[in-house]
Amino acid sequence: MERNRVYVSGVGIISSIGNDRESVLQSLRSLQHGFSSYQPFEDDDLAEVQFVGLVKEFDVESSDYEDWSFPSPYKIRRETLRGLGPHGVYCYCAMQQAIQDCHLTEEEISNPDTGIYTSSAGSPMMLTYNVNRMRRLGPMRCSPTGIVSSISGTLSFNLVANFKIQGSSCGFSSACASSGHALGYAFDDIAQGRQKRMFVVAGEDANYESILPFAGMRALSLEGDPERASCPFDTARNGFVSAGGGIALVLESEDEVNRRGVEPYAEFIGWGQASDGHNVAISHPEGYGLARAMKLAVANSEIDAGEIDYINAHATSTIIGDSSEGKAIIDVFDSQGLKPKISSTKAITGHGLSLASALEAAIVSLSIQAGITPGSAHIRNLDPIFEPLNIIRETESESPSVAMSNSSGFGGANVSLVFRRP
Amino acid sequence: MSDQTTTTRETVAEPARGSDELLKETLKRCSSGTLGAALEFRRTGDVSLVPKIVLGIIERSVEPDLVDQLRNGGDSIRFIEDLQIDSIDMIETVMMVEEAMGISIKNEELIELRTIGDMNTFIHEKISGMGTSKKTQFFPFEEVAAILPHQNPFLFLHEATLDDRSATGKYKISGDEDFLEGHFKGNPVFPASLMLEALGQLAVFLLLKKPLDELGRERVDAADVYFTGADGVRCYKICKPGDTLELSVSLKRVRDPIAVFSGQVHVNGEKTALVDEVTLAFRLEGSEKKINGENGAAEISGLNGN
Repeated sequence: MERNRVYVSGVGIISSIGNDRESVLQSLRSLQHGFSSYQPFEDDDLAEVQFVGLVKEFDVESSDYEDWSFPSPYKIRRETLRGLGPHGVYCYCAMQQAIQDCHLTEEEISNPDTGIYTSSAGSPMMLTYNVNRMRRLGPMRCSPTGIVSSISGTLSFNLVANFKIQGSSCGFSSACASSGHALGYAFDDIAQGRQKRMFVVAGEDANYESILPFAGMRALSLEGDPERASCPFDTARNGFVSAGGGIALVLESEDEVNRRGVEPYAEFIGWGQASDGHNVAISHPEGYGLARAMKLAVANSEIDAGEIDYINAHATSTIIGDSSEGKAIIDVFDSQGLKPKISSTKAITGHGLSLASALEAAIVSLSIQAGITPGSAHIRNLDPIFEPLNIIRETESESPSVAMSNSSGFGGANVSLVFRRP
Repeated sequence: MSDQTTTTRETVAEPARGSDELLKETLKRCSSGTLGAALEFRRTGDVSLVPKIVLGIIERSVEPDLVDQLRNGGDSIRFIEDLQIDSIDMIETVMMVEEAMGISIKNEELIELRTIGDMNTFIHEKISGMGTSKKTQFFPFEEVAAILPHQNPFLFLHEATLDDRSATGKYKISGDEDFLEGHFKGNPVFPASLMLEALGQLAVFLLLKKPLDELGRERVDAADVYFTGADGVRCYKICKPGDTLELSVSLKRVRDPIAVFSGQVHVNGEKTALVDEVTLAFRLEGSEKKINGENGAAEISGLNGN
């Protein structure tokens, strides 16, 4: 079946390394990380986590939306704000940014051919607050928007209603692969002609309740030096730095891009997914599922693996996860004599969980357009198991022609996305 | 940025239900005058403070350009049409009013409150218990539980609606009640004796909430009310988990320290149990009278204690 070509035409980024295209590109060029200390962890003797990839210029710490603040260019009405969780604010702003970025009119946003897929883990902080309040004061003294601001569909509920989306809408929940799935299925909807345009929006809170449970899993680095706390592929890696933010991507069919006369960042040419079937929290040690996801992505993109010249790795700076991915890449590429450049931008962004894949798709798209290939920061001693890989330590001033972006989530869910210079 | 983060999370030291701290937290965005009036009302019960508190609470949900209209428009100002307050604002407003006034507003009642004047009159009546335009008073579970001395697992009243001398209430049989495991083995049936108990609890609730002329409008002490008798009990229907007992009691006569009610239980409108007389013994607040002593014993027949 003839399928429609799909383009990334708009990007909105609210992230630890910047809240607009220029500052994100600046961070990618200089490989400047976005980590800082976090007061609630400093105040808590039992929270040994030192760094968080916090979003700057926003304050959404409180459970009361009327305490929140966000940068002045963004407008969120009070009746919208009260239905949002903290990451809903990031995502609402990212959505406004993406819409402005690719000049969409209200009619182009609200019509039966335009849909939205979202991913977030909900807001554990809002949920905790609301449930505690309910137990303490009874349900009738709880906010009527307590559910829609808390539970894991919160992004879809709010964005569909507020942006008057009429096409497909759905939330994806596969932990750190969530927004990869959202992007993949949004691609399918456009490729197969079900929709002409899809928003993919992903977000995470980054606060006490959303981050600290990962310390209980021993998944977070407790390092006191930010360059050691997130150092994918390094021998010293010992866990990730958690990050919050909101990402919005606009995907459009070739017809829409041509009709509207927009310059897309990148062409999204295909994707693949496969599961490890191995462990609830740990990736398959040989990267079995991820290797298959990459092979399927190559096939779905109708290219040869050799055309891929950059891989934005999932690598979060955990011992097992990075090693699994390294083995999977060796299997698919290096064992075939292929040497794509590889980097993990999580070294500077931190790991955004549900938003990770969308953030990295945005980074890949911006890099293709800006003519850079981001380097892998914070490597002092490369773990010998990654020796066969072409891991680049500095950002290069040449864009990839075909780039792959990997994501892996709990339960061994793996997604691989492929983008091409338009 | 870490230096900008303000720790306003509420995981530690949450203000308790009914505390001044909770009232302060609830009204934190209202003017200090509104909070002051609400705290004063809590101490004095002075109903003349109601309009000031209500206006102050509503003001915070209103866009700044409409505040003057609210302040100068008087009782006829309408919430939706004039103040552009939507249903969620209205619920938040009501939650604040409930906390400030110590009352509960049912959804059905809420629908009828269209203007500032409606709200003031409604609250005034609710507080003074006059009920000139609305005769009955509804109490949700949390208020029932706060007032009755009975508590889980021996509280068989999920809500109550009071008239001056009669009351209706509900209890839904969840099926999780421990005693159903043994009553009976493999066949959970709600015990008839507990239907009587539920009627007794509803009668106690009425006695505690309604000032009665026969008692010189003095309050009954919640720590000293006992079920002492039941006469003319007839049960008609077996009740199972999932059934809701529709309870009603009506005061037949009362004289310190004894009150006698008639009672009925219905399920889905079907007659389930009738009691000619449920008798309660009580002590008035501040009274030295012992209810098991010489004055009361002669009149107490049948079951004793609870």
